[in-house]
Amino acid sequence: MTMPVPRSAYIHVPFCRHRCGYCNFTVIAGRDDLHASYLQALQMELETLGAPQEMETVFLGGGTPTQLHPDELRRLFDLIAYWFPMVTEGEYTIEANPEDIDEESVALFQEYGVNRVSLGGQSFDMDKLTLLERSHQPSQLEQCFTLLKSIPSVSMDLIFGVPGETLAQWSADLDSLLIFRPTHISTYGLTIEKGTSFWSRFERGDLLEVDEELQRQFYIEARQRLSAAGYHHYEVSNFARPGFECRHNQAYWFGDPYFAVGPGAASFVNGYREVNHRSTTTYISKVLAGESPVAESELVSGEELHREVLVFALRRLDGINPDWFFQKTGVTIESLAGDQITKFVNQGLLRWHDGRLCLTEEGLLVSDSLWPYLL
Amino acid sequence: MDCRNIRNFSIIAHIDHGKSTLADRLLEFTGTVSERELKEQMLDDMQLERDRGITIKARSVSVEYKHGNTTYQLNLIDTPGHVDFQYEVSRALTCCEGALLLVDAFQGVEAQTVANGYNAFDHDLAIIPVINKIDLDYARVDEVVEEIEQQFGLGDAEVQKVSAKEGIGIEGLLEAVIEHVPPPTGDPAAELRAMVFDSHYDEFRGAITYIRVMEGTIGKGDKIQFVRAGSVHDVIEIGQFTPQQTPCDALHAGQVGYVICNIKSLDMIHIGDTLCLNKSEVEPLPGYQEPKRMVYCGLYPSDGQDFKELRDALGRLKINDPSFEFEAETSEALGFGFRCGFLGLLHMEIVQQRLEQESDVDLIQTAPNVTYEVTKKDGTEMRIHRPQEVPEPGDILEFRQPIVRVNFITPGEYVGAIMKLCNERRGVQQSQEYISPTRMMLCYDLPLAEVIYDLHDKLKSATRGYGTMDYEIIGYQAADLVRMDILVNGNRVDALSVICHRADSQVRGRAVCKKLKQEIDRHMFEVAVQAAIGAKIIARETVRALRKNVTAKCYGGDISRKKKLWAKQREGKKRMKSIGSVDIPQKAFMAVLDKGQDKK
Repeated sequence: MTMPVPRSAYIHVPFCRHRCGYCNFTVIAGRDDLHASYLQALQMELETLGAPQEMETVFLGGGTPTQLHPDELRRLFDLIAYWFPMVTEGEYTIEANPEDIDEESVALFQEYGVNRVSLGGQSFDMDKLTLLERSHQPSQLEQCFTLLKSIPSVSMDLIFGVPGETLAQWSADLDSLLIFRPTHISTYGLTIEKGTSFWSRFERGDLLEVDEELQRQFYIEARQRLSAAGYHHYEVSNFARPGFECRHNQAYWFGDPYFAVGPGAASFVNGYREVNHRSTTTYISKVLAGESPVAESELVSGEELHREVLVFALRRLDGINPDWFFQKTGVTIESLAGDQITKFVNQGLLRWHDGRLCLTEEGLLVSDSLWPYLL
Repeated sequence: MDCRNIRNFSIIAHIDHGKSTLADRLLEFTGTVSERELKEQMLDDMQLERDRGITIKARSVSVEYKHGNTTYQLNLIDTPGHVDFQYEVSRALTCCEGALLLVDAFQGVEAQTVANGYNAFDHDLAIIPVINKIDLDYARVDEVVEEIEQQFGLGDAEVQKVSAKEGIGIEGLLEAVIEHVPPPTGDPAAELRAMVFDSHYDEFRGAITYIRVMEGTIGKGDKIQFVRAGSVHDVIEIGQFTPQQTPCDALHAGQVGYVICNIKSLDMIHIGDTLCLNKSEVEPLPGYQEPKRMVYCGLYPSDGQDFKELRDALGRLKINDPSFEFEAETSEALGFGFRCGFLGLLHMEIVQQRLEQESDVDLIQTAPNVTYEVTKKDGTEMRIHRPQEVPEPGDILEFRQPIVRVNFITPGEYVGAIMKLCNERRGVQQSQEYISPTRMMLCYDLPLAEVIYDLHDKLKSATRGYGTMDYEIIGYQAADLVRMDILVNGNRVDALSVICHRADSQVRGRAVCKKLKQEIDRHMFEVAVQAAIGAKIIARETVRALRKNVTAKCYGGDISRKKKLWAKQREGKKRMKSIGSVDIPQKAFMAVLDKGQDKK
């Protein structure tokens, strides 16, 4: 499998106003004092590229990129514009906190060609937002959509399965979002992960996880409502109006290479998966000292890579075209995992549809139990 | 050496009463080994014995001791201290004229004290009661003297009081041995007859056979034969353990020592066999038995690739321990493995532990079972070593199981608890008596299967550790026994079948199903776990199907992390056994062993 030059880049901005109870990402809260040295480090890391690299997709994620002050954000955009110049028709995404969206920030996005904004909205339900420790109001989300009218694609995240949530509550949440017809919706079941304050509360028994059967209903409800509203369920957690599927994320799922910079950022270049130090301060001090910020590096090749492509591409609901898979990897799906796939087809978890191998709805619902057999 | 100056004796004791320490002290006191040479428990030379602090294999050692103007040769024949090795004990006792009956000054007379003591009486040995650990603050010497008197009719005057640890009373004890143990009889000029009472395997010299010369004389270069084994060998070396192997020219009637021929496996050395000169027509010594394996279990490599390695490891063990046997078997669930037979439960544990220590193979062990007997309606007699061999219920005329006579010794307040344990296990009381004002001896006949299932653990908890037990097999009795199968989604898991009493089957079936339900991960479909007798389902549990298991976010940074998680799960699944489409973790195969709280 030959490795082309990356056409996608991810930039991680780790800053947040505060850490939400469910979050275990690479974030650092209440340390605005680090912004300057972070930008300095980021510049140095980018300089190791040697020369600017033309990109089809750029994704600014976090943390909260909009936690940077306007002049800092401008400096970040300048860095990206220099090192990762976009092709025409490129996709340029920034994740944004609803509280940070105002005329000034939107103008800044436009100035630098940002054409996709991903809003960390999470819910229109005040109770849910409070429990999730989000500080914005439902009304702020409405304002965001108005302010972002000029941005071609706006995505919003919605969380379901918050402790105590009912199916009716969740349906109402979906309806509230559909009023604004965002181009893209990402929806996630709340998971209680180690290292979060929710986890400690859960361990103490202060927080009860939503019953599995109800979680299943929430997920099916989202699929049905959003499909009915004209959204294409194109990946486990992602829905889009036709033509608005996130190109950047598809690069991950198709096994394409990508650059990544910033603390905790994961890249895939020349067959190597590398992850930078997750601690923002370690990242900064390493880079400023002229050292590599990489904490983990592994070469993924041969059958391991082929299986990885199989699994991550199968998470896309359109499934896998066997010809595409063969072109991509040089092996057939059949020779790689034929027996296992036949077993799953017989169990009704996978199916062949229009010549493509796809998850069935039942398979989708338990898909994490399939992957260990295919990896 | 004049026969009159030889004393052959054993030390017999309940576990932990200080037998090995006393043996060490005798070696030290007689100057046989210097203090520097004396490792703790000199005679327990297997690593495992040191680990467990118990003696498994008998050893013998010859010491010289000057008393008055005479030099005596004292032959100490060490005996294994556990019921599994009863036969070996009895052969060793045949080689002695006397025995030290060792009793802990605090613990007092216990079940194995009684069993071993009676065994010594049966062999007409001169018995010297010895109370050990008299230096301890909580020693209750007078009461223990009373217990010994009550139990064995041996008076205070005969009791030696010692502390093996502190070296108190050792000289008096040696005097008592010389005065009370009779010298061996036997004519050195008669035709050779020697008792084989033990053996061990030396990597360089092959089998080393331990003998007691009963009649006649054996010398280096003799051509000898083992009567039972029917094999003929040249004697390359004879000698005595002092405790090192010390060669000599001849061993005469009454003496104890070793013989080295060119024998490559212990398989050919049978404990209790008679050694005589080649072509001799002499009558073999009485009391010989084939080793009786009473407990069987399946041993499987958890990774099928290790089958050969396991076979080699078992082969190496067998060279050292002929009483253990194994043969290849196949299980649909576990693949290729071995059915292994043991003298008893402790023996099984010892073999397993040695396997673990001496090889790298990761093992799955199936539930142990005893050897059953079946008479079929067509008159065929069968011995059943594994549940799969049980014929269809309709073909069975009589199903018999081994019964053991169990002696319990316990402080009086726990008698009720022990009776309850025995009644629940279909025990039949034989007797009940006081061995001292506060302690009682209870005797029950119980199925051996019940004893190996959980009786020892339950006894310890019911008596707060104060109760002790010992048992001997008394024969087979018919019972209402059944084979209980475990089905997973309708497929029988052969390795999980057990034989049990019909009245227990439902309770046990339920317990096994419940445990399996906990051990089997949820699948993408419902999994039924059932217990059945023949076609009749007697218990059922259901492992619910997974309803939702889907990771939400999976972007650049998540790929490596998720992949590692799933790869780990994949490795876990590889180690599981697949029945139909159900993955069963190895731990589940031990589930049938689980005694839990479910029983009664």
